[in-house]
Amino acid sequence: MVNKTHTAVIAAHADGRVLSETWDLVAFALQLNGGRPENIEILVLGDNIDRLAEEIAGKSGIDVRAIFCTGLTGYSSEVYLSVLARELEKQADLAYVCAPHNSQGMDYAPALAARFGAACISGVNGIFLEEGTFFFQKDIYGGKIKANMVSHTATTVLTIQSGVFKLDPERQASPGGVVRTDARFAIDRTRFLGVRKGGGDCAGIAEARVVVAAGRGIGELENMEIIHRLAELFPKSAVAGTRIVCDQGWLPYNRQVGVTGMTVAPDLYVACGISGASQHVMGMRGAGFVVAINTDRQAAMFNEADICIVEDITTFIPLLLEIYQQQYNDNAVPQAPGNDTSGG
Amino acid sequence: MKILVCAKFVPDTDHLIIKESEGGKAVIGDLSEYRMNRFDEFAVEEAVRIKEQSGGVIVDVLTVGPEPSKDVLRRAMGMGADNGIHLAVRGEQYLSPMVVAAGIADYAREKDYNLILTGAMSEDMMNGQVGPMVASFSGLPCATQVILLRLSSGRRNDQSEENPDASSDWVAVYVEREIEGGNREMLEIDLPAVIAVQTGINEPRYPSLSNLLRANKQEIETIALGGDNSVLKAPEDLVSTIVPPKMRAGRHVEGSAAEKAEQLLLILHDKALIK
Ligand SMILES: Cc1cc2nc3c(=O)[nH]c(=O)nc-3n(C[C@H](O)[C@H](O)[C@H](O)COP(=O)(O)OP(=O)(O)OC[C@H]3O[C@@H](n4cnc5c(N)ncnc54)[C@H](O)[C@@H]3O)c2cc1C
Ligand SMILES: Nc1ncnc2c1ncn2[C@@H]1O[C@H](COP(=O)(O)O)[C@@H](O)[C@H]1O
Repeated sequence: MVNKTHTAVIAAHADGRVLSETWDLVAFALQLNGGRPENIEILVLGDNIDRLAEEIAGKSGIDVRAIFCTGLTGYSSEVYLSVLARELEKQADLAYVCAPHNSQGMDYAPALAARFGAACISGVNGIFLEEGTFFFQKDIYGGKIKANMVSHTATTVLTIQSGVFKLDPERQASPGGVVRTDARFAIDRTRFLGVRKGGGDCAGIAEARVVVAAGRGIGELENMEIIHRLAELFPKSAVAGTRIVCDQGWLPYNRQVGVTGMTVAPDLYVACGISGASQHVMGMRGAGFVVAINTDRQAAMFNEADICIVEDITTFIPLLLEIYQQQYNDNAVPQAPGNDTSGG
Repeated sequence: MKILVCAKFVPDTDHLIIKESEGGKAVIGDLSEYRMNRFDEFAVEEAVRIKEQSGGVIVDVLTVGPEPSKDVLRRAMGMGADNGIHLAVRGEQYLSPMVVAAGIADYAREKDYNLILTGAMSEDMMNGQVGPMVASFSGLPCATQVILLRLSSGRRNDQSEENPDASSDWVAVYVEREIEGGNREMLEIDLPAVIAVQTGINEPRYPSLSNLLRANKQEIETIALGGDNSVLKAPEDLVSTIVPPKMRAGRHVEGSAAEKAEQLLLILHDKALIK
């Protein structure tokens, strides 16, 4: 195989702000390049990107190619694909394209890989080098197992899970240079009609000190009752759930924790019948103390827990409540006002 | 109007047993229980709803995999899909999303599908790649993580007089795709297009008995993946699997259920999390 060396990082930004994913990508690209900023270039696409490009070059210490797409408001798969394909084709020694594993990167990166005939490895959350070959790690089977992947193609497209690779805040780097180019593009077949804002009301979950969260393991709507009762044991508690629980209508969507829901950091997170898929876990990693209850001893959620209990939640939680009544209820105090365990 | 839905047969992760061997290498035990990828249930449901809302819609469902994968086609037909197509592969080898997508795009070529639906991701491999790759190979526009889909009729109105099918008016699809922070991007995309749907877009139904009986009698079109075309070589490989590292203490509380409950209450009490 030709020894290609160049790494392209595709910056992620929205609403005129650099998204934190961009710094994660920089950290990853540096790791891929043995810590050296040479041979890495960060591509920024958009309309008004002067300030973004300067900020990225300044903080990362890596050269930036600012690709001005006049009139491009926000993200567009059609534009990202055509412009990136054209820009990256110019790069003869392109080894890696690093994109965020978010709503943007997951949208364009696989299509870009298909266009280049390049291997695509998505949701990368680990990397190691063995005998000159890079192994890229990703979650499979809901996070229960990690796969070590290798690429066979000269160019490889990677989407990087956010929050895993972290740019050293102490890192001293002289700012990278900024090269400006204009890209012509046509939006043919996809018309952007704007963004519908959501996610305002988070049902008090963000402020809760204890979050009791239900997963599909709860089995049916009727069993949500025991989740609410469990939450009532704790002052300043709230009930939340996984996406599947919200999809089922067992909880409203403003109680969903995860990448497409809320991020919470309570003192205590009790995960009841939750498998521990990264999309969920990323919403609760900041919790102080984590208890997981699951019938499957090998559930990924146990890797994210301080205390692991292998039990059926539908029988274990009622038993726990009963024992609490017997042993603790005497010194139970009235609940603090503003307590939210009501559910929906 | 013709819709192609891609559906994958996946092992049930809850029942997947990891036999850990030395050095954290994960050896996967028997994968006895398989089912339709959950994301794809939403894709099948969406197609069937379109069919029910309008005449003249045909829903084909396609799967790539070894022989038993056919079950997923029967289930989709039980939900109301018209035809099943099985792109057969041998054994349990690693199936690259690129190879799967190329096979799907090959099959779909010259079949005039107006809409190709996939799920947002397969639960076993967690890639989220096949949809956008099919679009790329087919030269079609694509949207992923779609949580709302409405077909819109429009500019080609002149055709509707000759053709009584309401569905033949459809020239575009309005979609909302989930982005971060609970927000949604609103897009209008010209047909034909590839749409990868997110869970929650609808409520998938259970297969009906009458549909299942029909599906059991119906022939399933079976074609070897890649066919006589040069088979695309997998551009990447899954070399080995490991047990994920523990991110926290991960202390297992053991004993009878009651003992576990008592211990848990004690731990929470000691940490002043309960009174
Ligand atoms: C783009 C994208 C964004 C996503 N965003 C989110 C998000 O924001 N939030 C989110 O949560 N998910 C999100 N998901 C979905 C995510 O990948 C998982 O599918 C989801 O988190 C799984 O939910 P779950 O754990 O409830 O269900 P499952 O994965 O089905 O797990 C159920 C668990 O319950 C256990 N169980 C079963 N019965 C019992 C019982 N009686 N007692 C105890 N345990 C039992 C099982 O062993 C299993 O571990 C997203 C996916 C995609 C593709
Ligand atoms: N083997 C397969 N057969 C049919 N469809 C598939 C297959 N693999 C993936 N898909 C489709 O592509 C979507 C995304 O899968 P993936 O890229 O594997 O995460 C799935 O939800 C399916 O709709």
